[in-house]
Amino acid sequence: MKYAVFTNSIKNNLEIMSKNSIKSIFTILMLSLVVFSCKKDDKTPTPSNPDGNTPPPNEEELITTIVLTFTDTTGIVAPFTVTFADPDGDGGNAPTIHEEIHLDSNKYYNVTIQFLDESKTPAEDITQEVVAEANEHLICYNLSGANLSITRTDSDGTYELGVHSFWSTGLPSSGTVTVVLKHQPGIKDGTCAPGDTDVEVVFDFHIH
Amino acid sequence: MLNKSLFFVLVIVSSQLKVFAQQINCNITLSGKVIDEHDNSPLMFATIYIKELERGAVSDEKGNYLIENLCPGTYTLVCNHLGCDELTEIITITKSVKHNFYPEHHTEELQSFSLIEDAFVEEKTVPKKELSIRELNQSRGKSLGESLKSIPGVTSLNTGNNVSKPVIHGLHSDRVLILNNGIRQEGQQWGSEHAPEIDPFIAKNISVIKGAESIRYGANAIAGVVLVEPHQLRDSAGINGELNTVGASNGKSGVASAMLEGNIGKLKGLSWRVQGTTKQSGNIHTPDYFMKNTGVKEQNFSWALGFNQPKYGLELFYSQFNSDIGIFSAAHIGNLTDLKKAIASDVPLELTDFTYDIDRPFQHIEHELFKAKAYWFTGDAGKLNLVYARQYNYRSEYDKHRPRKDSLAALNLPELQFTITTHTGDLIWEQNRVKSFKSIVGVSAINQANTISGRQFIPAFVKYGYGAFFIEKWRSDNAKLELEAGIRYDYIYQQAYVWKNKQWNSPEFEYQNYTASIGAIYKLTSYFTIRANIGSAWRPPSVSELFSDGLHHGAAAVEYGDTNLVAENAYNSTLSLEYAKDKLVIQAEGYYNFINNFIYLAPTLPATLTIRGAFPTFNYKQVDAVLKGLDFKASYKLMKNLTWTGKAAVLRAFNQQTKDWLVGMPADRLENGLTLELPKLKTLQEAYLGISIGNVFTQTRVPANSDYTNPPAGYTLLNVQTGIKIPIANQKIAVDFEINNLLNTTYRDYLNRFRYFADEMGRNYSIKINIPFNLNSKK
Repeated sequence: MKYAVFTNSIKNNLEIMSKNSIKSIFTILMLSLVVFSCKKDDKTPTPSNPDGNTPPPNEEELITTIVLTFTDTTGIVAPFTVTFADPDGDGGNAPTIHEEIHLDSNKYYNVTIQFLDESKTPAEDITQEVVAEANEHLICYNLSGANLSITRTDSDGTYELGVHSFWSTGLPSSGTVTVVLKHQPGIKDGTCAPGDTDVEVVFDFHIH
Repeated sequence: MLNKSLFFVLVIVSSQLKVFAQQINCNITLSGKVIDEHDNSPLMFATIYIKELERGAVSDEKGNYLIENLCPGTYTLVCNHLGCDELTEIITITKSVKHNFYPEHHTEELQSFSLIEDAFVEEKTVPKKELSIRELNQSRGKSLGESLKSIPGVTSLNTGNNVSKPVIHGLHSDRVLILNNGIRQEGQQWGSEHAPEIDPFIAKNISVIKGAESIRYGANAIAGVVLVEPHQLRDSAGINGELNTVGASNGKSGVASAMLEGNIGKLKGLSWRVQGTTKQSGNIHTPDYFMKNTGVKEQNFSWALGFNQPKYGLELFYSQFNSDIGIFSAAHIGNLTDLKKAIASDVPLELTDFTYDIDRPFQHIEHELFKAKAYWFTGDAGKLNLVYARQYNYRSEYDKHRPRKDSLAALNLPELQFTITTHTGDLIWEQNRVKSFKSIVGVSAINQANTISGRQFIPAFVKYGYGAFFIEKWRSDNAKLELEAGIRYDYIYQQAYVWKNKQWNSPEFEYQNYTASIGAIYKLTSYFTIRANIGSAWRPPSVSELFSDGLHHGAAAVEYGDTNLVAENAYNSTLSLEYAKDKLVIQAEGYYNFINNFIYLAPTLPATLTIRGAFPTFNYKQVDAVLKGLDFKASYKLMKNLTWTGKAAVLRAFNQQTKDWLVGMPADRLENGLTLELPKLKTLQEAYLGISIGNVFTQTRVPANSDYTNPPAGYTLLNVQTGIKIPIANQKIAVDFEINNLLNTTYRDYLNRFRYFADEMGRNYSIKINIPFNLNSKK
């Protein structure tokens, strides 16, 4: 019964419509032909060979380069840097610089990390963004096979950040350190697990 | 009752055939459709009986009937259908004719029938595989890719639950042409995570075709052509419509689709239709957990306008498809380390509760189609069609990652945008059958421009092309043998605009080639048909295959295209057998396809080192490949109302160069179903109860070290369906209820790109209601 009432009411409505509004249906149809068919023409530029130097619009943010700056706490050895660089971004050409870390045994180093986008001219310093959004970022230093310990020395107020760190070496040995930049918006808990990986570079290191 | 009379008719038909087959002059065919006057839906199980000859036929699921081997003469035709009054027509036939019946509930409104000269049911040398009406109804609310899966040999390549691409005999994307209302779909088809931008509610018929018929639609159709066809606009005065609603428990999804169409009696031949669909679904639940960010929103709209005159006609069609598709968050991973972690974990690394909200990562897709078609009947000789279409496709992909800069993040821009605009024109002349011959000839042209913004994954490009084709069909006088042959030439010019090493490059590409097909149909008896077809097809490499250069986010892979790739050439052969007699129906199709320069993504060592870590690396390569297989479908009436249906699909895909299997091919599968047609209960009609068991085997035929992990184990799914038709006010409201994955089985599928991260959908209850309505003013 319910169905019958339902269909009948549809029927009545449409019957009224069919009698009175055929003209208006047509008007709507013709209008929609005009309106909808041209709706998005403004979004469709024809590709053409653009100006030789103009990069494509809305190019994404990239990190192409990591620079680790080592400062001997005793001041005996002059500060030095270790770099990883892949200036054309993921894929394309292979990374152009991938240096090893050479440290002296039984020493202490203050280390600062820098993230750069060298695909832009001039190069963009991404580190500032990481620091500005410290509560969404974490830099992890994962060690394997070494007489080395690394401690983060800065913080976002709640959790550590890792742009600045303190490295202490033991007896001569070799191993790797994996530097990871995690983007953890709203999910930062002080550990490396959550979030997306923005940077993950493995450096070989040697303690002499 | 019905079965008995059906059997009786078949016996009469077959016994009569033996007599008539020997008389050379008596080979006239009477065919046509039995159509419900109210809603234009085809009527199955209508009996058409020739009084004088005491023989006849029964209409099939599509309402088609066929009476063969008639002598010229005047006959009294009686059409009977359950619930309709008997129709009696007297016609004189001198040659094969099409005669449609429009049974009606009120005798005073009987329509005059139409006689169309020689509209013999067009046969194809590769069987047209289409969704039956019940299959189409059951697939309501699903995406096009999912709807097609009930056709044997058709599977789908999924990215989660929401992105589903049809895979025909192991091939997909650019190798499958999709025709939306006669227009070749031009979106971003190259992407394996780009679903066809089509609202399946537009369709009254969804089918897959191969063979000579398919070459009229263009090159590229190496795997076949998917036809999505709305039914004809109303040809008699009045207004009718249809309301479809679907509700499903998993994802708490709701779909509503409405259609209204009419024909204006005063302006003879002017008809119209408007249609719209809205869909919303939230997070999908596997047997054990919700999948984060797997909602979908979709809004579609279309209208059509037709002006049909005896000599000419004009049709306009416009459709719009808009969707937001959430991409499962836990599948958007950082690098190889993250991927290994995700694979090692039994449950996704990110879990959530139910929500309809769609967050990053997601895709926003818009597709617009405008079509104008004009036709003229060129005297008795044939029909000339002129078709113009414009398609606009906008695809934007939002990464999980927001930009680091707050100012940029606030704009909430997509990281990847493609805008493709396509203009196509076709001029086709369809010749009426002259004696035994019938031909179709046509030319087509395409102009396409793709612009991009955001991350450089594929470049912007322009494309021009033109083509010409010719199809000839021949039928023997006794209609037992039919031959068809077709040839097509295509020229394609493409120029890409690539930003690399801080410079623009604009390489040009030109391709040209022929497509050819030849096939035969032989009707051994009225119930046994053999079809054979051999053909060639080709396609130029797609932009992604030529130019991919870099990280494919979400796939966690670095992919490199190769600008030296050449066109793929395929040589296909198909042999199919159809047997339909008494209680048994069998359709079997075997195919052997050789593809020269088959393009695929080959894993390459070593992994690519990036600042985000190591990524597995893939290069687009070309090899010679062989794909062979068997599709099988059968049904048997076990009892009066109980039918068994079985389907099977087997595929073997081989890389000829490395003598190894091809990666990413569907596993063998099997489906068994039982359907019980229930007797009429008071006014309730066509009630049925169905159960089906689907088995998908483990894909063991994969090359070693081609994947991050082994293909998932095979699985068995149990589904049950039931439905009924409720007659109300001269309409039949159809209610279908279905439970998919009844046992809540936990499984993963090899052809789902998210198989590394999560299980497939758990148990899902869905209800579908179809309400046709009719506003014919009573005379």
